[in-house]
Amino acid sequence: MKRLLKYNEFYLAVLVVVLCICITAANPAFLTPENILSFLKTASVNGIMAVGVLFVLIVGGQPDVSFTAIAQVVEYAVVLATLRWGGNIAIALVGACILGGLMGSLNGFVIHYFRVTTIIVTIATLNLYFGLLYVFTGGNVIFVVPSMFKHFATLPIFPMHGANGSTYDFSAMTLMWFAALLLGWFILKRTYLGRSIFAVGGNEVAAQRLGINTLWVRVFVFSFVGVLSGIAAIAHTSIVLSAIPNIIVGHEMEVIAAVVLGGASLFGGKGTIIGTFLGVLLFAILQNGLVLLNFSSYWYDVTVGLAITIGMTVSSYQQLRVRRSRVNVKVEQVAVS
Amino acid sequence: MPTMDDFLRLRNIHKSFVGVYALKGVDFSLRSGEIHCLIGENGSGKSTLIKIISGVQPADSGEIWVSGTRVTRATTSEMIRAGIQVIYQDLSLLPNLTVAENIAFAELVKARRAMVHWPKIREIARAAIARIGVNLDLDAVVGELPVGLQQMVAICRALTGELKLLVLDEPTASLTKGEIDNLIKVVRDMQSRGITIMFISHKLNEVLAIADRVTVLRDGQMVGTIDRSELTNDRLIEMMAGKVLKQTRFTYADGHRKKLLEVSHLTKANNFADISFDLYEGEILGIAGLIGSGRTELALALFGIAPADSGTIKVGGVERSIESVQDAVAAGFAYVPENRLTEGLVLKHSVGENLVAAIIRQLVSPVRLIDEKRRDNTIAEWIRSLSIRVAYPEVAVQTLSGGNQQRVVIGKWLATKPKILILDGPTIGIDVAAKSSIHQIVRDLAAQGTGVILISDEMSEVVTNSNRLLLMRAGRIRAEIESATVTDTDVQAMVEAAA
Amino acid sequence: MSATTARRRRIPDATLYVILGCIVVLMVGLNPDRFPTLSNLQSMASQLPILAFLCLGMMVSMVGGGINLAIVSTANFTGIITALMLRLLTGGHSGDATLGIAVAAMVVGVIACLLIGALMGWLVAWIEVPAILATLGVMMLLNGTNVVLTRGYTISDFPDALLAIGNGDIYGVPIAFVILVVAIVGLHFVLNRMPFGFSLYMLGSNPIAARYSNINIRRVLLFDYMLSSLFSALTAFVMMGQLNSVKANYAQSYVLVSVLACFLGGVDPFGGSGRLSSMVVAVVILQVISSGVNLLRVDPFFVTAMWGAIILVLIAVNHFTSHWQEMRRLAKLRHPEKPAASAS
Repeated sequence: MKRLLKYNEFYLAVLVVVLCICITAANPAFLTPENILSFLKTASVNGIMAVGVLFVLIVGGQPDVSFTAIAQVVEYAVVLATLRWGGNIAIALVGACILGGLMGSLNGFVIHYFRVTTIIVTIATLNLYFGLLYVFTGGNVIFVVPSMFKHFATLPIFPMHGANGSTYDFSAMTLMWFAALLLGWFILKRTYLGRSIFAVGGNEVAAQRLGINTLWVRVFVFSFVGVLSGIAAIAHTSIVLSAIPNIIVGHEMEVIAAVVLGGASLFGGKGTIIGTFLGVLLFAILQNGLVLLNFSSYWYDVTVGLAITIGMTVSSYQQLRVRRSRVNVKVEQVAVS
Repeated sequence: MPTMDDFLRLRNIHKSFVGVYALKGVDFSLRSGEIHCLIGENGSGKSTLIKIISGVQPADSGEIWVSGTRVTRATTSEMIRAGIQVIYQDLSLLPNLTVAENIAFAELVKARRAMVHWPKIREIARAAIARIGVNLDLDAVVGELPVGLQQMVAICRALTGELKLLVLDEPTASLTKGEIDNLIKVVRDMQSRGITIMFISHKLNEVLAIADRVTVLRDGQMVGTIDRSELTNDRLIEMMAGKVLKQTRFTYADGHRKKLLEVSHLTKANNFADISFDLYEGEILGIAGLIGSGRTELALALFGIAPADSGTIKVGGVERSIESVQDAVAAGFAYVPENRLTEGLVLKHSVGENLVAAIIRQLVSPVRLIDEKRRDNTIAEWIRSLSIRVAYPEVAVQTLSGGNQQRVVIGKWLATKPKILILDGPTIGIDVAAKSSIHQIVRDLAAQGTGVILISDEMSEVVTNSNRLLLMRAGRIRAEIESATVTDTDVQAMVEAAA
Repeated sequence: MSATTARRRRIPDATLYVILGCIVVLMVGLNPDRFPTLSNLQSMASQLPILAFLCLGMMVSMVGGGINLAIVSTANFTGIITALMLRLLTGGHSGDATLGIAVAAMVVGVIACLLIGALMGWLVAWIEVPAILATLGVMMLLNGTNVVLTRGYTISDFPDALLAIGNGDIYGVPIAFVILVVAIVGLHFVLNRMPFGFSLYMLGSNPIAARYSNINIRRVLLFDYMLSSLFSALTAFVMMGQLNSVKANYAQSYVLVSVLACFLGGVDPFGGSGRLSSMVVAVVILQVISSGVNLLRVDPFFVTAMWGAIILVLIAVNHFTSHWQEMRRLAKLRHPEKPAASAS
């Protein structure tokens, strides 16, 4: 039990549970299967991207801010392509992955070859991709998307029946999120590539000395977050059944904050899938709770901001106390005479 | 021709970087199964030689022979295949990963497999740990281990391949006595298994204790290799500096000097306990003790970086509360820190800026703006009086030699006109010749009435440059002795006793 | 203090002036009738302040080794507080406020923004929260608070005093521009001629050594973030004056633009260096590009994409020039007999 206390994820889990209890007490509709499945569905977009952001934070500590732009571009590209040429959801997904991966890999190459900080490069690509998107699409919202997205959104997975005869189900998007989490876990824990990502994040020079190819590790990480952003874009389109140019962009900080609250270190080399999941879950529950408790949506941002501020204050203070009370010398005890 | 006994033989190695020589005509050999120490000042070419041996850098010309065969293309993978591994001073470990993973990572890279099989990793790690019989928790996070154990992890990692030659670059720099003993044991054990060890060190007492042969490099050239039988401290210093240096002892002119500092029962949990001592004007009080004895922690408490929990500090008879660096400086303290490069200087800033850093708030005109003329005069004055060798004050301080850098740090603190100057390891990483000039500066300072506390790892430094000596061990003061009554070997023994 | 031969610079000053020159020539070439006119100059001079204040505020925080992601949110917050105060003091008729009331409201706004700066400074200096996180949290908090305070509406109708700041001019020079010049001069003194600025640069370069060198790093960081926030306040007042309105999330994209400007202006994101003069040139470059492109009636989003492309190009250019400089420096080392000091 004591070992559990060392983990950031444990506190986060407790927080999530406490939050659930509070919200349910105020509005029992929270803990119903329909509701839970619903907010799990909406959270999936951020959740999928968060897995990618986790990888970026592990490899170098600095966040990538261009992933939302990649998602937006892919969303438009896929919708326009499927409107033009048809196809099915599988092709759309594959296309999304490829496009997202390519866009992300640009970040990886530039960061590695020019040795610039991640945040500067991704700010540049964020602006580049987002700006070009608007230029080529005129910022138009696409209100009608191919029916494949609707079919995808309503795909029956485990149909269940509610008390009053309503049906509810896991959505395919939620499953995609869980699949992304699983994939992320698998790569990080079980593959040489994943361990190399941790190695580069922990001590890049040492990693190079060991013979790890840091270029490919970086390119992979940034391509991966691009791929995941592409998948998130498909999820998003399936949920809102339209393409809106500026709805995903603007939420970078929220996703990054969720990953950081989940335990990823801003110095690199640390982070877990569970923590990322819990972080995203926390924000999703917050948002859902506000809606159920009839707070206007205005309060969402304040709540999230407060959550982040308090969260990292507490976390940093804890780390500060640990540093201060470090044992530097084993002082010899002398008998008091 | 290399003899059969030689594991490694370098002949006539030349290496230069863009027209500047790092190594010139170096002939070097390592006998199989010996413990060989390489000594040299900063700038002597030590690291370049290591890089050539490990294959990181190619030599410009010359021959490399390993086990009697000529190596034609010395790349890292080639040299690793030849059984040569280097453990750098920074250990090159992955601090966020576990012991098991760190040890096995090299094998992971070599295996080139996509998947990671955790039981296999543990097996590799266990095997390596068993080879040197050290106690390591496979699941411990390396970054949280004490330095001594981290080093063991690095050595285990080197053992996962076919190890024939292990090169250790300044291995004992931050080890406690116990850890050093352990390391020596492990090294001797490896030697008995036929592994050749090469040590790079500047700690002459350790070199004397363990080396079978010693090679001295100076200015990129071989000065010579001497056998254990001819090894003495003076001989080594002479070879390193190129001249014979005499050391005279510091003498304290007593005579009713004022008591500057009175420390009573100073205590800080997990750092030191019940520290009491006095300091008089003009004294140099030495504090000797190994790493982990609490000596630096005591200095940091006096200086306000890590204030004590209880006890009193009286400066000039007045009790002072020291909770911050500002408090300490106001009370008259100054501290020349152990880590010159991270704590003593802002490397990218200029010599001038570093010199006035501590007193910048005093160099203002009535309008609260920096009085540039006064500032420049102050800078020039300190450069002159401390003989800091620099072309002009705007040069970045990182371009200076170690000795000059230390003068800048000292100058910065002398500018605050301190009553008590604390020096912590003031000549670490400084040329043997430059060391004595730093000592002279300190002695002159004492002669002018400043009280000096000199903390050092090097017993000869602390014994010859102080009039009184405090011995610290495990956070407490164990003894107070007159420096004139002891030699450095005495003190070394006293400090290690029952450690 | 001109002792900056010591500090590594990203893009040397001379290069920046050359870039500025080229950009101006380019813009004139693309817009020969409309660019090199007095009215365009005036227009640039009145748009420049908002961008400049934000960039300078960001610079101040980056020099100290941190970053101020909340810079725009603080500006919006200050504006909203000032606007609400105006409404309160005039019973709802903000547009009729006298000079005295307008000033009073602005003072309250400044106090509010200084408190935010102090909060960020406290988090970074006392709790030792990494700057990105601390300012990110405060940014999100303020964004939310701004929305709650305005209920999503735009607040407008401001008094003449305020409008003058945004639109008035003295002998043809926009008042906002004058304020900018005064602010730049002031910042020059603070950064280069005061102990605070000296300490800030040292702190940014090596906080540990700064602490060991009798610099009160907590106080310096606190003032650093308060100073940075002060620039948010200046931004707010000019925005209010020019647009005659405040909104909860205006100009959020400027956060990233200001980070880019700092990069262009040679501010090391790790702290410790950055010349004010380079910053000013960098901001002017960005403004010229912005104005010139606007005159071309180019899609503003094309401009956004362009910022991104420009930074990528600059990164490449910077990499090659510093690589080339390094080669030149090594080749310059004369004496071939002398062993390299850095080689061991």
